[in-house]
Amino acid sequence: MFKVTQIMSYWLLVLYIVTFIGYLYDFFADKKYLYNTKRVFLFVTLLFHVIYLVERTFFLGHLPIVTQYEIFSLLAFAIGFTYFLLELLSDIRGTGVFILIFALLFQMKSTLFIQDVYVVNSILNNYPLGTHVITAILGFSAISISSAYALMYLLLYKNIKTNKFNIIFKRLPNLEILEQMNFYAIIIGFILLTIAIIIGFAWLPSAFPDFSYWDPKIISTMIVWLIYSVGIILKLRGSITGKRFAKFSIYGFILSILFLLLTGTILSGFHNFVN
Amino acid sequence: MDIIGISINHKTAPIDLRETLHLSNGEVQEFIPILKENIFSEGFILSTCNRTDIFGIPKERKINYKDIQNSLLNLKHVDGLSPEHFQNYFSCGAVKHILEVAASINSQIVGDSQIHGQVKEAFNISENSGFSKTLMHKLYETAVRVGKRTITETRIGQGAVTISFAAIKVLEKIFSTFDKKSALVIGAGETGELAAIHLKEKGIGKLFITNRTRSKAENLAKKLKGNVIDFGSLQDSLEKFDIIISATSAENYILEYNDVKSMIKKRKGALTCIMDIAIPRDVDPKVAEMDGIFYNDIDSLNVIVSENLRKREKEIPMVNKIIIEEMTAFFKWYNALDVVPTIKDFRDFFEEIRRDEIEKIKYKIHDYEFEKVDNMTKRIIGRILHYPTLNLKRLSETGIDYEAAKKYSEMIRELFNLNDSDKNKKD
Repeated sequence: MFKVTQIMSYWLLVLYIVTFIGYLYDFFADKKYLYNTKRVFLFVTLLFHVIYLVERTFFLGHLPIVTQYEIFSLLAFAIGFTYFLLELLSDIRGTGVFILIFALLFQMKSTLFIQDVYVVNSILNNYPLGTHVITAILGFSAISISSAYALMYLLLYKNIKTNKFNIIFKRLPNLEILEQMNFYAIIIGFILLTIAIIIGFAWLPSAFPDFSYWDPKIISTMIVWLIYSVGIILKLRGSITGKRFAKFSIYGFILSILFLLLTGTILSGFHNFVN
Repeated sequence: MDIIGISINHKTAPIDLRETLHLSNGEVQEFIPILKENIFSEGFILSTCNRTDIFGIPKERKINYKDIQNSLLNLKHVDGLSPEHFQNYFSCGAVKHILEVAASINSQIVGDSQIHGQVKEAFNISENSGFSKTLMHKLYETAVRVGKRTITETRIGQGAVTISFAAIKVLEKIFSTFDKKSALVIGAGETGELAAIHLKEKGIGKLFITNRTRSKAENLAKKLKGNVIDFGSLQDSLEKFDIIISATSAENYILEYNDVKSMIKKRKGALTCIMDIAIPRDVDPKVAEMDGIFYNDIDSLNVIVSENLRKREKEIPMVNKIIIEEMTAFFKWYNALDVVPTIKDFRDFFEEIRRDEIEKIKYKIHDYEFEKVDNMTKRIIGRILHYPTLNLKRLSETGIDYEAAKKYSEMIRELFNLNDSDKNKKD
């Protein structure tokens, strides 16, 4: 059984790589026959990911939200799935390669370092925790997607500014759309993080005897939340737009990932559930 | 095939000669009766500001290109034209040329979609004037089909190939919609007008025109339902515009670095695009360094145009393939024209005999027996005529042994007395 989970994890990584290569090839080649093929690949990858997560849940006896690497796998899924929906709804196809790279990197990190934890804190078999974790993960995936749009914005901005009418110019949607998508993704991420924080504050003190407001994960999440809330207010007031807003989005994402890594490795607190 | 024709185009003559030879629709309609009387039994005239093509089926064998050229020159009286300014075509070459024109690979700008409409209009005038009969009608259908196929099956018409359209393509990469944007066109000359038209076609929210001679700006603004701003106070209202396209013939900069700098301050970081499509330039190119400003001049836009033209040229072999396919179909149809009546008469002749004979036994046998005999005789006739019909069609359609097809056709008519159908009936 152990082998099955491990093999599935590697196969999942292979599928993410193949899908990413498909999107990358289509980005440069722009062949009509690839329009739907790459989408099918993404769908198959996501379907396999669901099977993998279900298998892992049944095999280990807990939701795959315990270790940092399980969270990374969930993040990869959330990013891939959100992009899949975005592509279906907006029909903007040139951006996939910039977003799926995040999903691929998260899954790679997960596959290469994941460990099977059998004994976990009993508190994890709890609905509020599930909602807390899932909203937080979806929030982080929305932030990752926003930074991907911000990166595309900066690349296209530079291309137009320097009169380079290359593949970036041809394949990406226009700057206004990219800025809009970046902003929408940040709003969605912010709302989801807010929900995760509210649930956390409402439920964690009663569930954990050693609960502390000075827990590194809580502090870092609050910092990220505050930064994004300031950014959203400034954007709504028109104080930061265009290139500056794109840069804000990228810095915000880097900071949130750094915090996620730091709190998961160096700093410890009651948020660490592995017994 | 007897079709002949002449063409004067960008490959053969300078623009002033091509323009002088241009025939308006009225002149085409005036010219058609002259051609009908002296030169062609049927034909068509395609005349745009960039080319004039006259093709048709000569009334007599002795008629040649010179006669067409002379008729045209009698109508237009153009000095300085010589035979070198014309391309002359006949038979397959003529058909190929017409299809190349319809496919837009013979245009000055390869893939120029305007030519499709112009070819249609030319053939329509010809049809309405009674100048188009079976052959021209078929050629018209083929030309239109070639035009459609080149658009749907190749990328010959894709990408911006004019400076003003390339400017619009860049704008489309900056703004998602144009309906809430405000644009200013500086200069109401030909280039400025074209840019303003493109903006209007893209659904620009507010269009402003300015020109040193105010009346010119007013005329263009009236034409495009835009507004006019005063050229003298242009710098004071720059911040209102998301898009500025400048196309004047001014010797010095109209917009200096500081003008744009103060505009940017007032626009509070909102993206602004300046398209300088004038020679010499109207805007200080240093403005490109400012954040939030997208600046393009003719040289940078030319990069897009040249690349798209190269891409279009790469599509020419695909277009030629379509032309060859359609030419083959056209000539199959044309070659079969002579034998079709023979085949029809031949089959009618046998069918008549069959019907005559079967009528004789109609009341001597039961209905169900009659039906059987009727079907059987139909099958017999069908089988007897199958190979003669097939071979005659094949010989004519391939066009390889057209003389043999003609000989067989005549022989069949002679042997079965098909030229005198009344006598056949009596016998």
